[in-house]
Amino acid sequence: MVGWSMKTTWRAAFSAMLMVSAAAHADTPVLQAEQSDVATLPPVAPHWFLPATAHDAYTIYDGDAGHILGTVPASGLGNIVLSPDRKVFYVADTIWSRGDHGTRQDLLQEYDARTLKLLREIELPPRALAVYKKQDFDVSPDGRWGYVFDMSPATAVTVVDLAHASVARTVDIPGCALVFPWKTGGFSSLCGDGSLTNVGYAGGAEVKVTHTKPFFDANNDPIFEQGLVDRATGRALFVSYSGKVYATTLGQDPVIGAPWSIQQAAGQPVAGTGVQDLAWRPGGAQPFAWNRASGHLFVLMHMGTYWTHKTAGTEVWELDPVAHALVRRIDLPEPARGIAVSPDAAPLLYSTAENGKIATIDVRTGTVRRTIEAQAGPVFLVPDM
Amino acid sequence: MSVSFLDRLGETATRKLAARSSRRGVLGRMSAAMALAPAFPLLPVSRADAASAPAPAATLSDFERRAQSKDATKCNYWRHCAIDGVLCGCCGGGVHTCPPGTEPSPVSWIGTCRNPADGRSYVIAYRDCCGRDICATSKDCHCNTADREMPIYRPQASNDIIWCFGTASTAYHCSTAAIVGQAS
Repeated sequence: MVGWSMKTTWRAAFSAMLMVSAAAHADTPVLQAEQSDVATLPPVAPHWFLPATAHDAYTIYDGDAGHILGTVPASGLGNIVLSPDRKVFYVADTIWSRGDHGTRQDLLQEYDARTLKLLREIELPPRALAVYKKQDFDVSPDGRWGYVFDMSPATAVTVVDLAHASVARTVDIPGCALVFPWKTGGFSSLCGDGSLTNVGYAGGAEVKVTHTKPFFDANNDPIFEQGLVDRATGRALFVSYSGKVYATTLGQDPVIGAPWSIQQAAGQPVAGTGVQDLAWRPGGAQPFAWNRASGHLFVLMHMGTYWTHKTAGTEVWELDPVAHALVRRIDLPEPARGIAVSPDAAPLLYSTAENGKIATIDVRTGTVRRTIEAQAGPVFLVPDM
Repeated sequence: MSVSFLDRLGETATRKLAARSSRRGVLGRMSAAMALAPAFPLLPVSRADAASAPAPAATLSDFERRAQSKDATKCNYWRHCAIDGVLCGCCGGGVHTCPPGTEPSPVSWIGTCRNPADGRSYVIAYRDCCGRDICATSKDCHCNTADREMPIYRPQASNDIIWCFGTASTAYHCSTAAIVGQAS
């Protein structure tokens, strides 16, 4: 009897609560049914960065907010370039009709940078297939030509007419590899004899090919594949295994500056090429970055012996390549295999640790702003450079 | 000297896509490569015969100091001084043997490695085994070493390339380390 009475009391109290609650929300509109829509992106911003990530993609991040804005599909064998007018992402990639076999297709894919919709696909001759090589593909500064490195294993470059979405022609570059676009009218490639080959092309059937004299020692101190080009000026920075920087103005007849030592610029001993010469050295899978606003070079450095050119770096050295001077050394939170720097005057440095985490670092203070669980590989795309 | 999971992930993502292509076409282009670039020995045999391998270092590299000659399924096995990939010995094959169902690439990149057991240096052909997706072995069997490893403009000593040229399928499965000859 007592139990029944208690139940009744509780029920009455609960009903009263519901009535009060309903009265309180009586003037709140009922949530409406929703239509599914699709996000679009704002214009590409200086602090965006795109690491190569898991699931065959380059993932677009807002470096300030530290979150994902979108995804551009590209395999680890693929290459991505942002068009100079920032309106299009180009992806050069290779796929097979049956996943891991079947008909091979090499494609240059064009994605709208606002909608990420696939706009066009241009069929290519077989590309070079290598793990994470950014310098396998680039676009001319006027946005007119795409340059795709081929290796079968004969080496060549396919020139793509981006205005007409077609292959213009293929140029053999025997003994040479990779593409470094000029300010206008062609590209250069690094050669096994320590020289550059220079391919002038402005449309039509005619190409002009020149060679520089050997300027680096490909046997004993080769230049890294990951040379940097500022498309706006046609200037390039090539760095050797031991840390010598060759500032070059690319063109039909490149102007190559006398090499200077990163370590010497930083007041450190010059690195030798002996297998037991312990010194600060550049290394990693994407060891260099170039900030357009300051013109400063950023190098991923580690302490090691010769032949440690793939070893992860513990510091990033910011250098003034005009004054041949160290600006600052930045400690990394974890050893990194790849770095990138935003192009603006308030630069962010991005570094990928071996566990796939990316640190975003304020270059001016050296402080880590964020650590992002990005599932990232060691290569990045950033705007402009 | 094993690499991270994400490195392997990236490697898997890249290499699993490598697949079948025209053998005739590839061989034709390989011939072209050799005709166009005679100074560019692509076959490890020609490299060894030419005796143009780098001379062994007077002092040992870090890899050479730590190398062993007992267990070929470890990254620090002496022949693995410039390997990048999964060891076929961990995948049903051996140090010069491709696992069942795969095919060795006729061309490869090369290294010059010192055998601690006899103190001699040998030219090693790192022949990829092709035709299946990458072998799902343990992290310990995925190696990335770089003694005398060169950029892609010296392809015969460059280990980032998918070395499955001239095989029925260009899918990457694993890498072997066959002795070609003594380095002179």
